[in-house]
Amino acid sequence: MFSLMANCCSWLKRWQEPVRKVTLIMVGLDNAGKTATVRGIQGESPEDVAPTVGFSKIDLKQGRFEVTIFDLGGGKRIRNIWRNYYAESYGVIFVVDSSDIARMEETKQAMIEVLNSPKISGKPVLVLANKQDREGALSEADVIESLSLEKLVNEHKCLCQIEPCSAIMGCGKKIDKSIKKGLYWLLHIIAKDFDALNERIQRDTTEQKAYEEQKKLERAERVRRIREERGSRTSD
Amino acid sequence: MRALLSIIQRLKGSPEKELCIVLLGLDNAGKTTLLKRLASEEVSTITPTQGFNIKSIHSHGFKLNVWDIGGQRSIRPYWRKYLGSTDLLIYVIDSADQKRFEETGQELAELTEEESLMGVPLLVFANKQDLLTAAPAAEIAEGLSLHTYRDREWQIQACSALSGEGVQDGMNWISSQIMNRKK
Ligand SMILES: Nc1nc2c(ncn2[C@@H]2O[C@H](COP(=O)(O)OP(=O)(O)OP(=O)(O)O)[C@@H](O)[C@H]2O)c(=O)[nH]1
Ligand SMILES: Nc1nc2c(ncn2[C@@H]2O[C@H](COP(=O)(O)OP(=O)(O)OP(=O)(O)O)[C@@H](O)[C@H]2O)c(=O)[nH]1
Ligand SMILES: [Mg+2]
Ligand SMILES: [Mg+2]
Repeated sequence: MFSLMANCCSWLKRWQEPVRKVTLIMVGLDNAGKTATVRGIQGESPEDVAPTVGFSKIDLKQGRFEVTIFDLGGGKRIRNIWRNYYAESYGVIFVVDSSDIARMEETKQAMIEVLNSPKISGKPVLVLANKQDREGALSEADVIESLSLEKLVNEHKCLCQIEPCSAIMGCGKKIDKSIKKGLYWLLHIIAKDFDALNERIQRDTTEQKAYEEQKKLERAERVRRIREERGSRTSD
Repeated sequence: MRALLSIIQRLKGSPEKELCIVLLGLDNAGKTTLLKRLASEEVSTITPTQGFNIKSIHSHGFKLNVWDIGGQRSIRPYWRKYLGSTDLLIYVIDSADQKRFEETGQELAELTEEESLMGVPLLVFANKQDLLTAAPAAEIAEGLSLHTYRDREWQIQACSALSGEGVQDGMNWISSQIMNRKK
């Protein structure tokens, strides 16, 4: 009876907690397995993925969290869009192809670039050491070393967890437990210091939105003028 | 995505699923050339489109009805008439026509504010990559401020409708979108 009451109380307490909206960005080199990972999380088949040269997102509910994950293209030519999403992200999921040893240096450089951003420093980072199913895949410890991960996250005051995993193992309930564990960890860290983090993100995004809005208005005005000029010359 | 999902669910059980894809972009962007390429037709003689062309393309067990609508300024006001049940929007850009990046970006921004296109996935073909003066896809993404489109999935694909390069990759993205929402 007593335990039932206690259960009820904790349930009630949980229920009273506000719903928290959290945005995460998923980055990493092309072919690392980002899209396969989000597909699996979403309960869709992680097979049949095409390279992302752009943006896609998934929404999921996790306890009292409404989580949105941005899956961004990792190819060299599109990588520079990542920075547009830093301001609004509460945390980073960085996916690594652990079996692609030749690209570890490039992976490291890409990660340095992400963490170096003042909009990211201090935010939690989950590293998914993916493709563990492949022969010759680097172990967790080897990935940490190849990326000088410890030094890097300490430098930027980012709490970090690394999970060795395989995104193609299954989807939905059968998804690799390490991915789930990593996601829980990330949300747990975000919840711990939510108010401060949230305040920072609100501030940064308001600033960015205002800037984007300004740019948009300026462009609309320039185009309006071009159309007007053309209109007065010809009747196209 | 929701529109796509609902149409697929609605058509579940029918032998072949049908999707409506609209091809838009400024005049001279290469829409008609691209459509012909998708339908494996001759691409040498193409004149500016006064109204629209429509083609059915069969791919991965789907029937894609693709509408190619003229991009001349005088026709653009009619674009909206074709958007009713769009499942996917393909927007074509002449990557070598840097002078008009702002204009094409503005047209796209105005279009995507249309209610019927809410959440509809967007594939941007950065066309005419065979020309030396073509801007790379990443630069075009930046120029079009694609990162401000957060309510829909988008993909930018460099291609040449003339040579066919990159066109299939764009189609693969479309089918991977479709295939994964099938269940
Ligand atoms: N063996 C193995 N293959 C995987 C795993 N995860 C992803 N892949 C494969 O790796 C390839 C790339 O996966 P994607 O999910 O498209 O990679 P991405 O990080 O989204 O790449 P971009 O979109 O180009 O940035 C696909 O062929 C996947 O099937 C894994 O855990 N093990
Ligand atoms: N070099 C090059 N030229 C292209 C390419 N695609 C189309 N063109 C040329 O661009 C011109 C316009 O192509 P269209 O396909 O008619 O363009 P459109 O977008 O249908 O134009 P409207 O019907 O007026 O809206 C033609 O001369 C094409 O041959 C390409 O990939 N490379
Ligand atoms: Mg991807
Ligand atoms: Mg045409």
